[in-house]
Amino acid sequence: MSSDQTFVDYGEDEPRARRTTHIRLHRATPIVPQNSVAGRTLMLLIAIMTFLSCITLGGVILVQKSAIAWSSDVGREVTIQIRPIDGQDMDSNLRASKSIAEAIPGVGNVRVLSAEESGKLLEPWLGAGLDLTVLDIPRMIAVELSDPREFDADQLAENLSTIKGASLDTHSAWRQQLNAMSGTMVLTGVLVLLLIIVATILAVVFATRGTMASNRTIVDVLHFIGASNAFIAGEFQDRFLNLGLRGGAAGGLGAIVFFIIVGTVSTNYLPSEAGSQLSAFFGRFSLGWDGLLLLILVVPIIAGLTALTSRMTVRRFLTQIS
Amino acid sequence: MIEFDDVALRYGDGPEILRNLTFKIAPGSFHFLTGPSGAGKTSLLKLLLLSLKPTRGHINMFGRNTGRLSQDQLLDMRRHIGIVFQEFRLLDHLTTFENVALPLRVQGQKESDYSENVAELLTWVGLGDRMHAHPPLLSGGEKQRAAIARAVIAKPDILLADEPTGNVDPDLSTRLLHLFAQLNRMGTTVIIATHERSLLEDFPTPRMILHEGELTIE
Repeated sequence: MSSDQTFVDYGEDEPRARRTTHIRLHRATPIVPQNSVAGRTLMLLIAIMTFLSCITLGGVILVQKSAIAWSSDVGREVTIQIRPIDGQDMDSNLRASKSIAEAIPGVGNVRVLSAEESGKLLEPWLGAGLDLTVLDIPRMIAVELSDPREFDADQLAENLSTIKGASLDTHSAWRQQLNAMSGTMVLTGVLVLLLIIVATILAVVFATRGTMASNRTIVDVLHFIGASNAFIAGEFQDRFLNLGLRGGAAGGLGAIVFFIIVGTVSTNYLPSEAGSQLSAFFGRFSLGWDGLLLLILVVPIIAGLTALTSRMTVRRFLTQIS
Repeated sequence: MIEFDDVALRYGDGPEILRNLTFKIAPGSFHFLTGPSGAGKTSLLKLLLLSLKPTRGHINMFGRNTGRLSQDQLLDMRRHIGIVFQEFRLLDHLTTFENVALPLRVQGQKESDYSENVAELLTWVGLGDRMHAHPPLLSGGEKQRAAIARAVIAKPDILLADEPTGNVDPDLSTRLLHLFAQLNRMGTTVIIATHERSLLEDFPTPRMILHEGELTIE
């Protein structure tokens, strides 16, 4: 039969048939029903999983950014410590050390900390209000680096060896600990992200199986009218992609709002000590545009993962029942 | 077009409910499939629809041994077969129009290309004013007519119908049979399973009679 011929010869029914053939075209209803209790539950689950993924990723970004900032700050300064030694003139040693430091390439400003300033550094351990003049406190020289790449720490340490009681602290131990801590936190965050993704995949697999079972009639009818497994899988994939996008968008938006609120509260409402401790760990709770972009990227990734997982589950299900 | 060679069918470890089926159905022929309840009419229709595989024997359709076809090839062949189920099997969340258009949608056709044909067919089967209604709101007869429209909309080469006039009045029953006859004149091979003696008397065509799992053609 040619496809362009009129479907039936209406005979005497022709006028009545033709009268009613004007129909309004509309958006086709999805073959797999979009709204169901299972669908809404899965959407909520995906929203929660996306929220947790974004929070974890945001935490990792904040820690990573803070660690890089710390490392950069600490790396731009070294400290010379002059211990008091009997028979040595502290002021003379301070001046000599300052001169030695200033002569090293890559060194910028060199500042001798006063006895008061050196004493204040001990306050966190000894408390405030103590008379430290009775103690022989080491004196400190803060050496800021104008060009850390040009600076030769070994050369400075060697030159300082001529001064008794002088030692150089490049803060390398701090930086190593910092890198180790931030690395551990990033690794932990990545592992948590992986676990969330695995849990999301498992939830989608179970939800897809449940949806397939409850829509078995649809699958059978589609098979009977010649729909390929790829077509059926595509219909289910569309449904789950839709759920994934809606759930993911809700979760992602929730996470962004969360970071905005926490950032505002930590900056404006927390007591200064608590705020400064938080900012020491997480900077200013500012993800930046790149961090925000990564968070937004989580949404299509979760939605795509949901659609792909459902498609694979449906294909396996269809192969089993064929 | 259809050739059964010593075909038998059993469900699980049960007895053979169809056996020794050897027959040929020529392209463009019109057959009634009849027999008492439980004789295996629906099972034979399922074999013809390729939704069941015979436990013995060979089925050739469109010149190919169906036992050697892949799943995708079977599904592709099924697009040339229209089926009217006894229990309708309409999708409740789709409108009558969308149910009838489903085979065309599955074939990848655009709604703008098929909407007029679907509307004409629905009007002709008396569902012109019900095309935007959902199946739960249709009567048994309306569901039957929608199921028939869905089976024939893609102009299949073979049309199978399981008691297609069981829920409609005699007038519409005759009109539907005329639709089947018209499709048959246009080249479609039609096989209708029915109990109704009146249909068998009104349409003097070859009869496939199933009795205790065996088939005779008169």
